[in-house]
Amino acid sequence: MKLTRSYTINDLMEGCKAGDRKMQELLYRQTSSKMLAVCMRYAKDRMEAEDVLQLGYIKIFQKIKEYRGDGSFEGWIRRVMVNTAIESYRKNLRSLNVVEIDEAYEQPSTGFDFGTLGMQDLMKVIQKLADGYRMVFNMYVIEGYSHKEIGETLGISEGASKSQLSRARAILKEEITKMEGFGYATYTG
Amino acid sequence: MQPIQDKDFDQLFKDRFEDAEITPSRDLWSNIESEIEPKKKRIIPIYWLTAAAVLLIATVGILVYQQQHTAPKQYANHVSPQTNPVTVEHLGRDAVRSTDEPAKNVVSTQVAKIKPITTLVKAAVKEVVKPLEKQKTISAPETQKQETMIAKVEEPKKDIRTKIEEAVFQTKQESVLASNVNEVVADEVIDNNYATDRKGIRNVGDVVNLIVNTMDKRKDKVIQFRTDDDDSSISVVNIGPFRIGKKNRNK
Repeated sequence: MKLTRSYTINDLMEGCKAGDRKMQELLYRQTSSKMLAVCMRYAKDRMEAEDVLQLGYIKIFQKIKEYRGDGSFEGWIRRVMVNTAIESYRKNLRSLNVVEIDEAYEQPSTGFDFGTLGMQDLMKVIQKLADGYRMVFNMYVIEGYSHKEIGETLGISEGASKSQLSRARAILKEEITKMEGFGYATYTG
Repeated sequence: MQPIQDKDFDQLFKDRFEDAEITPSRDLWSNIESEIEPKKKRIIPIYWLTAAAVLLIATVGILVYQQQHTAPKQYANHVSPQTNPVTVEHLGRDAVRSTDEPAKNVVSTQVAKIKPITTLVKAAVKEVVKPLEKQKTISAPETQKQETMIAKVEEPKKDIRTKIEEAVFQTKQESVLASNVNEVVADEVIDNNYATDRKGIRNVGDVVNLIVNTMDKRKDKVIQFRTDDDDSSISVVNIGPFRIGKKNRNK
């Protein structure tokens, strides 16, 4: 664990470009927990997330020569990982179960106590979302895609992306309210 | 408790996930490693092996072809001086009257220098015969018929004058020098007189172009062109199926 700190991420990048197996492993060890957190947001559960993580790293090592140094290396790794997650979603594209959830969460007007909500809580809530909502929410809110880009990537209209985002927000607010109401805001998943 | 704005709500998620870390529960590295490894180790040797195999078969093919090709070359050199005298003897005497003196020169040079003999045999029509033609048209009006035969007349002149001497002398040395003479002289003669023939061979033989394009080694090109020039179009035709057949089998 502590060995990894003797290399900067750029050292690892150069080593990986040269195909150095040890450097590849070090890069994996140093970045995998951050990248798993990314994959978890896009996946239904940890198993699915780790499958995407594995695929993503294989892609990273195969495509590393395409990284030209524009933007941070970690940012590039993250992009490859997000793209892998989106691809895997599109491959197993299930029908969006929009209808049944639609009416249940209409007006969550209550506020939140931000301080009590941990990352694990939010992860738990996001993973409960229907796949389509989860993709749109992650891509727009966390990754910063525009609705147009989301529409093109997922093969839906720009309007659909917008409406799914607002529904996703509504669902999340409702879920969080429930969570606080039951008093397990410090839930550790 | 106030209603939360979308912006603030989004920011909450952004902040929480920005530096989020979750340690993988399984050790995925071994899986990843095994996925990367085999591709590197397998692919490269296959390419090298196929490349090496192609080179081997090509070089072997060239060597075999050369051996088949060099044998007929030597026969051609021996036969040409021997067969010509028989056909031309009748016509020779008329022509020789007027061309005794130049004929002597030709013969003497041929005796002195044995290498030019092969060049004269090949390039005789263009180089040596022209002066002879001029002299004949002056002295003999009937030579129009004989002009076609003049190319062959030179050698009978030798035969008439020094037939016995040279027959013994030349055949021995030609047979000895045949292999060397062909290669050395072929370059010179071809460059001067047969340049057009050479281009024609290249254009006609698509196969030659194919081989030159596909084979990068210089040795192959040189060898093939020399053999082509010596025996004209026949050699090119022979190359075609030989080389193409080999290549198709590999691919």
